[in-house]
Amino acid sequence: MTTVALPAAAITPRGLRRIAWVGIGIGLIAAWIALPPIAARTWVPSLLLGLFAVAIGAWIVVQGERRFGWFAIVAGVFGFGLALLATFSGLGKLESVVVWSALFAAMLRFATPLAFASLGGLFSERAGVVNIGLEGMMLMGAFFGILGADKTNSWWLGLLIGVAAGGSAALVHAFFAIHLQADQIVGGTAINFLAVGLTGYLFIDVYGTEGTPTDIPSIPDVRLGFVDGIPFFGAIFDQLNLMIWIAIVLVPLTWLVIFRTPIGLRIRACGEHPRAADTVGIDVYAIRYGAVVLSGMLAAAGGAYLSIGFVNSFNENMTAGRGFIALAALIFGNWRPFGAAAACLLFGFSSALAQRLPEYSQSASVLFQALPYVLTLIAVAGVIGRSIPPASVGRPYRKQ
Amino acid sequence: MPRPRAGRRMTTTPAPGPGVDPSGLGPEKRASFIERYGISQRAEGLAAPLITTVLAFLVGGLVVLVTTGKNPLTTYRAIFEGAGFSWFFDLGSNRVGLPFSDATIWFPWNVSDAESVAAANLQQTLIVTTTLILTGLTVAFAFRCGMFNIGGQGQYLAGSIWAVWIGSSFSGLNPFLHIVLAIAVATLGGAVWAGIAGFLKATVGAHEVITTIMLNWVAIWVGSFLFGLGGPLQNDLQSSVPISNDVVENAFLPVFWGDALLQGLHVGLFLALAALVVYWGVLNRTTLGYGVRAVGFNPEAARYGGIGVARNYFLAMAISGAFAGLAGAIDVLGWQHRLSTSDIQTSQLGFIGIAVALLGRNTAVGVALAALLFGSLVTGTSTRNLDPEIFQPELASNLTLLIQGLVVLFVGADILVLWLLRRARGRR
Amino acid sequence: MSERPLVLEMRNITKRFPGIVANDDVSFDLRKGEVHALLGENGAGKSTLMNILYGLYHPDEGEILINGKQVRLGSPDAAIEAGVGMVHQHFMLIPVMTVAENIVLAAEPTYNGVLLDFGEAEQRVRELSERFGLSVDPRARIEDITVGQQQRVEILKALYRNAQILALDEPTAVLTPQEARELFEIVRGLTEQGTSIVFISHKLREVAEIADRITVLRRGKLVETLPAEGATEASLARLMVGRDVLLRVDKTQAHPAEPLLTVDDLHVVDDRAIEQVKGVSFEVRAGEIVGIAGIDGNGQTELIDAMTGLRKPLSGTVTVAGEVVTSASVQEHFDAGLGHVPEDRQRRGLVLEFSIAENIAVHDFRSAPDSRLGWLFPRRLLERAVRLIKEFDVRGGGARTRAGGLSGGNQQKVVLAREIDRDPRVLIAAQPTRGLDVGAIEFVHRRLVEERDEGRGVLLVSLELEEILSLSDRILVLYEGELVGEFPSTVTEEELGVAMTGGGRAKEAVA
Repeated sequence: MTTVALPAAAITPRGLRRIAWVGIGIGLIAAWIALPPIAARTWVPSLLLGLFAVAIGAWIVVQGERRFGWFAIVAGVFGFGLALLATFSGLGKLESVVVWSALFAAMLRFATPLAFASLGGLFSERAGVVNIGLEGMMLMGAFFGILGADKTNSWWLGLLIGVAAGGSAALVHAFFAIHLQADQIVGGTAINFLAVGLTGYLFIDVYGTEGTPTDIPSIPDVRLGFVDGIPFFGAIFDQLNLMIWIAIVLVPLTWLVIFRTPIGLRIRACGEHPRAADTVGIDVYAIRYGAVVLSGMLAAAGGAYLSIGFVNSFNENMTAGRGFIALAALIFGNWRPFGAAAACLLFGFSSALAQRLPEYSQSASVLFQALPYVLTLIAVAGVIGRSIPPASVGRPYRKQ
Repeated sequence: MPRPRAGRRMTTTPAPGPGVDPSGLGPEKRASFIERYGISQRAEGLAAPLITTVLAFLVGGLVVLVTTGKNPLTTYRAIFEGAGFSWFFDLGSNRVGLPFSDATIWFPWNVSDAESVAAANLQQTLIVTTTLILTGLTVAFAFRCGMFNIGGQGQYLAGSIWAVWIGSSFSGLNPFLHIVLAIAVATLGGAVWAGIAGFLKATVGAHEVITTIMLNWVAIWVGSFLFGLGGPLQNDLQSSVPISNDVVENAFLPVFWGDALLQGLHVGLFLALAALVVYWGVLNRTTLGYGVRAVGFNPEAARYGGIGVARNYFLAMAISGAFAGLAGAIDVLGWQHRLSTSDIQTSQLGFIGIAVALLGRNTAVGVALAALLFGSLVTGTSTRNLDPEIFQPELASNLTLLIQGLVVLFVGADILVLWLLRRARGRR
Repeated sequence: MSERPLVLEMRNITKRFPGIVANDDVSFDLRKGEVHALLGENGAGKSTLMNILYGLYHPDEGEILINGKQVRLGSPDAAIEAGVGMVHQHFMLIPVMTVAENIVLAAEPTYNGVLLDFGEAEQRVRELSERFGLSVDPRARIEDITVGQQQRVEILKALYRNAQILALDEPTAVLTPQEARELFEIVRGLTEQGTSIVFISHKLREVAEIADRITVLRRGKLVETLPAEGATEASLARLMVGRDVLLRVDKTQAHPAEPLLTVDDLHVVDDRAIEQVKGVSFEVRAGEIVGIAGIDGNGQTELIDAMTGLRKPLSGTVTVAGEVVTSASVQEHFDAGLGHVPEDRQRRGLVLEFSIAENIAVHDFRSAPDSRLGWLFPRRLLERAVRLIKEFDVRGGGARTRAGGLSGGNQQKVVLAREIDRDPRVLIAAQPTRGLDVGAIEFVHRRLVEERDEGRGVLLVSLELEEILSLSDRILVLYEGELVGEFPSTVTEEELGVAMTGGGRAKEAVA
């Protein structure tokens, strides 16, 4: 089946996954060699690499690691497909679209709001409460962040106000989900409606038809002078927004809290078996409330970054489904911080690509906007097998 | 040493405890949202949705008061008039013609006054109600099978796109055939769009909330691409406007009340009413409906009973999407007659269907009434109908969204109230 | 035995729930170092009383004294503080976490107050383990250890929090006879070290063996508190139920005829691709009841799933009344002559929101007379339901009543009625009397014997050894996915227990 003779029985799941990563890497390389700076003009090497990746993936699926095996197969297929497209397009166009450092920087920018929301969702779901309302909380953060920054003339006060707004929306969701034990998905959807309605209403009320002013203080970028000289990485990390750095720090921090602290253990207990947690004296309601409010605050921070750190304006419903993409990233990442962050990077990359692709084809540019959503769809559909949520997520806990 | 026996079941699957367990502490048997919905359907009937609505309007009124200082009652009154209900207060002695003949019969309201603003408003309300009935049925049918179909908007768009394409092509076709063809293809288009999510749920268990929302956005962008500048379906004559070709006049749905040129009420209303009957009939009088309901209430028991769960998920989503596709076709053929990219990107009727279904408790009658309520809200707050002196229309449309959100929020909570009530009456 | 001090007094406890009084003026006390059993049927109020003690419920009336001092046990925290520990019937353990994590949860040792100290936690668990003789591996995940070991973890959880009063709620429900014996050893060890134990159970013989005193509850009221000496199973049963109870079903000799259900070399894997049924072969003949005994988790679920079409077996065949149905759909199994009374009537047997009529129709709604060409005729459903309600004496509602509104016993009658009315050749009954009161149990047992006498084959899969022994003509024992023994109905519980734990794998021929 493969060209490498490997003793099948001796390979552990962990080993299989490592091999899968090799396969995924090969698939990516298949695409990469057809793109600048190498820009091979024939698709033959990419075909070979792609087939190799597919073969590895298939072998791994047969060995039992279905998920990672399929990742490798998909990487092989897409890698070759992309390479094929690249070889058929003009070199000039390719070079203007695929500027790796710009792409990567854009990827980080697009991924950041997703990461905030995704990590927020992680806390909420690990504690056992589904938070479909991340989208709405993000939007609250976006609007109230920019409103706050405008009225107080300070970006960090604006950020705080945005975060508080998201937290309040989350508090409502928490109340309905935890105390009233309403269905969490319906409640989250309600929050989304309310957020769109409330922010739209206030947006028109305050700013009328002209929109937000252009001189609102925005979250500053962080200049790292010392990376200037480093090729490729220097260009990416030289000037990134503060929020991006916060997000980068937040990922390992979340991991630490969830898996290495007592509070994290208790949060996870509430999400797996709330009755068990209750019987050892943990206040399940309090922990769930805290987790949900935190999720709202984090999502709102991501939204505030969108409005006062990224595009520096507000439009009605500007989050455009990002909250749901963040949720999909969480599922895709198996409810773990690093996994979710990786998924956010993937989705961010697709948005970055979609942003640059109009240079490639004007009329099709609109179609490319659908790319992140299609990718999310594939991701959610492709989560075959072991994506195991916390056991009690979504179920209200009834105390007597 | 023998491998330890995994005695998982006693701990991970809460075993069914004593049959008589009023404490409810033993087994973690949570009444699912769908189960609770079922309870409420047999309970108070009208009272709960009424209370929910009143509450939502109350809070909405508060928002109005707090943010603009205006009297919420006058605002609601203006919305009421904008929706055209003041027409009902204008009783008189009039005559209306019977279909397929020249005879006329007595009718208390004046339907032939072409000048009546209230009549025009009411016609518009009913036009929107038509759409909302169908998008409401979309969500309701999926709910009956235990699924939350938030993709009504995308499925509606899918229907609209097919309808506008077929409606603007085949210009020589017999009108009746043309309409039937457009409606059939659009309905199928909506069914397929929802079917994607249904298929994913049936095969890999992908959560329909996320998949349908993603499909919504894909539909919006595909639609924007198709009718955008340079897009494949963009208008052949006006190349600078991102709009579709016009629907051929032959394929318009006939208008039976009001002026056809001024968006009079078209026969799509009857199609929507027929859909309500079909909805009820399928769910309660067919084997398919039995399966859908069984899976919606208890997929595990359905499976043990021999019913195919995955098959029902797929079919329920597809049928659900069909209603939405039909809505898209009716709107395009009935009054829109063309689609622009801004129409596609700003349309909300699919989303309002969610509130309609929830408020209407997923029943045919409930959906009809809730659709009327939201239809009047939408029309009453639109720029054309709402008196800007009383309240700014752009604000008012967001107010509608707010009220919608509040309805959805309170519905979730009052289900619980009903459920507690039922437990109080001693469920054994 | 001199009078030992009272460590616990619960006086005049009353607790009401909507529609029912779970505890009605119940008084209960416990002396230091004693084992006091709380005996009663399902629904008698035993668990409620203990949940009050553990702070999960608040009593409407009455008071609690611990070591002579009145206490308010408002939450499990307060109870733990007061030295009360509880091992619940349904374990309060988190499957994906380790033994150590479960034990130290909410009382975790830390480095400088911020980070978890896993090493310290494991150390403490090991110490406790040794002190009380409860051996467990602190690093193992709960979902990977046996039920007996899980129970030890539960006990350790309580001891970690310095419990002086330990309540054990139906602890032997999940154990083999051997494991139960080990538990009794542990209990004796604990009492010697000064712990006082409340032993909640509905199993008469165990209670008579382990307890020093016995308190009997019936329908929420205290019946009597008596010393264990002199109490017999019969006397206790009479106290529990209020009348003389038939402990064994009256049945005539079986006359088995042709095989109606044949299972041949069946291999079945579960959702995790682990093989749970390893080459099982047996048959059920017309006119006999075959009982399958075994501890929960030894492959019963997967075996039943495979026999009924809910799961495709890896290999092997299943034949019902001569027709091979191995890879057929669930509906095809039913059509071939199989009847299935599933294990969990509320989750698997019935759609609680459907009416009785709709539930009864669940196998037949796709064909005439219930429907034609997809169109349903509700009147036919109602007609059949009315007939069956009368025939099976289902109380609590009519054909249109929601199934969820019936009591457990009546719900089970509906399921039985539905299966039996279809005139199956073979009836598979899984845990048919779980959670039912004595009257309902008697009905179900009688009915199963009737079906046998009418020439059907009955396969009974149950975790209750008494039920298996009283109903079966032949008993098979399932252990780790294999049939390790076949016994006549005269076999003793001890012998069954040995087979159920894998000892003595000799297959005895039926006499």
